[in-house]
Amino acid sequence: MISLAGRDILHGWGKFVLTGMGLGLLIGVTLSMAGVYRGMIDDAQALLDNSGADLWVVQKDTLGPYAEPSSLSEDAERPIRAMAGVDRAAGVTYLTMQIAHQGKDVRVMVVGAEVAQPGEPGQPPHLLAGRRIVQGHYEAVADVKTGFAIGDQVKVRRNTYRIVGLTSRMVSSGGDPMLFLSLKDAQEAQFEKDADAIVRQRARTTSSPMLNPPGNPAVAEAVNAAQASSTNVNAVLVTVAPGADADAVAATIRRWQRVTVYTRAQMEEILVDKMIANSARQIGMFLVILAIVSAAIVAFIIYTMTIGKIREIAVLKLIGTRNRTIAGMILQQALGLGLIGFAVGKIVATFWAPFFPKYVLLLPADSVRGFVAVMAICALVSLLAIHAALKVDPAEAIGG
Amino acid sequence: MAEGIRIENLVKTYGSGDTAVHALRGVNMSVAKGEVVGLIGPSGSGKSTLLKCLGAVIEPTSGRMTIGDTVIYDDGWKVGDLRALRRDLIGFIFQAPYLIPFLDVTDNVALLPMLAGKPNAEARKEARDLLEALDVAHRAAAMPSQLSGGEQQRVAIARALVNRPPVILADEPTAPLDSVRALAVVDLLNTMARQFETAIIVVTHDEKIIPTFRRLYNIRDGVTVQEGPAGSHGPDGAGKS
Repeated sequence: MISLAGRDILHGWGKFVLTGMGLGLLIGVTLSMAGVYRGMIDDAQALLDNSGADLWVVQKDTLGPYAEPSSLSEDAERPIRAMAGVDRAAGVTYLTMQIAHQGKDVRVMVVGAEVAQPGEPGQPPHLLAGRRIVQGHYEAVADVKTGFAIGDQVKVRRNTYRIVGLTSRMVSSGGDPMLFLSLKDAQEAQFEKDADAIVRQRARTTSSPMLNPPGNPAVAEAVNAAQASSTNVNAVLVTVAPGADADAVAATIRRWQRVTVYTRAQMEEILVDKMIANSARQIGMFLVILAIVSAAIVAFIIYTMTIGKIREIAVLKLIGTRNRTIAGMILQQALGLGLIGFAVGKIVATFWAPFFPKYVLLLPADSVRGFVAVMAICALVSLLAIHAALKVDPAEAIGG
Repeated sequence: MAEGIRIENLVKTYGSGDTAVHALRGVNMSVAKGEVVGLIGPSGSGKSTLLKCLGAVIEPTSGRMTIGDTVIYDDGWKVGDLRALRRDLIGFIFQAPYLIPFLDVTDNVALLPMLAGKPNAEARKEARDLLEALDVAHRAAAMPSQLSGGEQQRVAIARALVNRPPVILADEPTAPLDSVRALAVVDLLNTMARQFETAIIVVTHDEKIIPTFRRLYNIRDGVTVQEGPAGSHGPDGAGKS
């Protein structure tokens, strides 16, 4: 038996392919939306993976350092480092800001990490080019998505930093690329006060007899110096010793320090379930709407194609064609349209994914799920056209 | 000659009670194998209803219909699968050819045997043989839209004949054709009827072809009157009885 659907498609292949391409663009948008969601999750996981930490020690009762502000003394790191089961501990700061570079604003997350020893948590785990920060000041390592090149000078607050290394996939949970500075430079950038505030603070210190005792100007100078700088960090990142249980180490730190400690699983839950939850719901709504629109378009196209063949269907029924042959023809056309649409959608989504400002991750599993969904939707909406075709009276082929 | 189709006292009533419409009031007719008869009558006389009953697309109210030796209706359908009945025992030729636009000429004709389960190659061979007989074999690979009106009607006739049905119902088959082509189609039907021993009933209003039938049935108010060779019939079926 010949394929009636195949012949019909071949007969009007131009119209069919164009329709499939139109549908494909819509499917491409749907796949891209799913890719945006996956990209957000992947960014969050990359943030955690690349931090190199097993535990995040943050200000007590906060969800820091990514979801809420958190401030700890950098001295908190030392007793933690001495605890059983702790391999390494390092203070880090995170500050999202916009910096100007070559006439364009680049949104980055400035990360302050200790540079004393390579491999400390918080540092970029790998470099694409250049070297890591070795000087205490004015050097930076940037993620390639910043667009910076080795040797570029970038200004963060008042100071200018030279890019000495490039890394990749180092992004914030919001997808902003990271710019690594030494911890001291990052603390200065994060806690820097403006000039007016410093002048007023100095005047207040000078006018206070307790902070500026007569005959001892060194006290006021020391107070001013302490007020102008900060030794705080946003979190202490901890790696546990080989064989140590991260939950047990976290419990020990909680017992002895007035801090909150998150394990990897807890931090992932904060990032994915709390920070991304609303965005995920938003994207989910878009996916549902796009699926409904796609379904409506396929239904309309298949229904219109079927209605345009009512006379032929009546003739086919009159000359003895089985209902299932006619239903099969319509179903195959709907699936054919879905197949073309999905192929076009997958190609365009893959093609335009790199042009999105944020990471779009197209997972093969999502493609498989998308394919099954497209086929299921096409099969489902073809029922409307099949119903219309099966209602056609073969007597319509006979005049009068 | 052996009988191709016999209709006895066929009644079709739409609705019931005061609103009942008696479309057929007891039609009797028979057509022998190899014979072509005309069925004429004014609009509303019941021609289309009779054709639909004969074509097993609507169910008569009562009566009896026999195709060859097979009783297909006797106050109720006597065959379970009307679709198979239409496919295997009845051929249809329509007012317009109604060829399937996305199939080429060969497959338009071969479709029926394929639907009946014949292998594609065998069905296509039968189709090509018939197209040869109908003198349209040279257009076998063409699409319907590439054919002239006369060629399309020949292909439609081939489609009606391909399963060798004992009966062919032709509904105004010459309506879209000019005189020359219309008469050629009737000639062709006569030839095919004889060649394939098929009983052909031609419903027509076409004055050009009415005189060519050796036997005519005139249907009026749901009742048929058999008439002899036509000669003075108008398009509304009026004439000597």
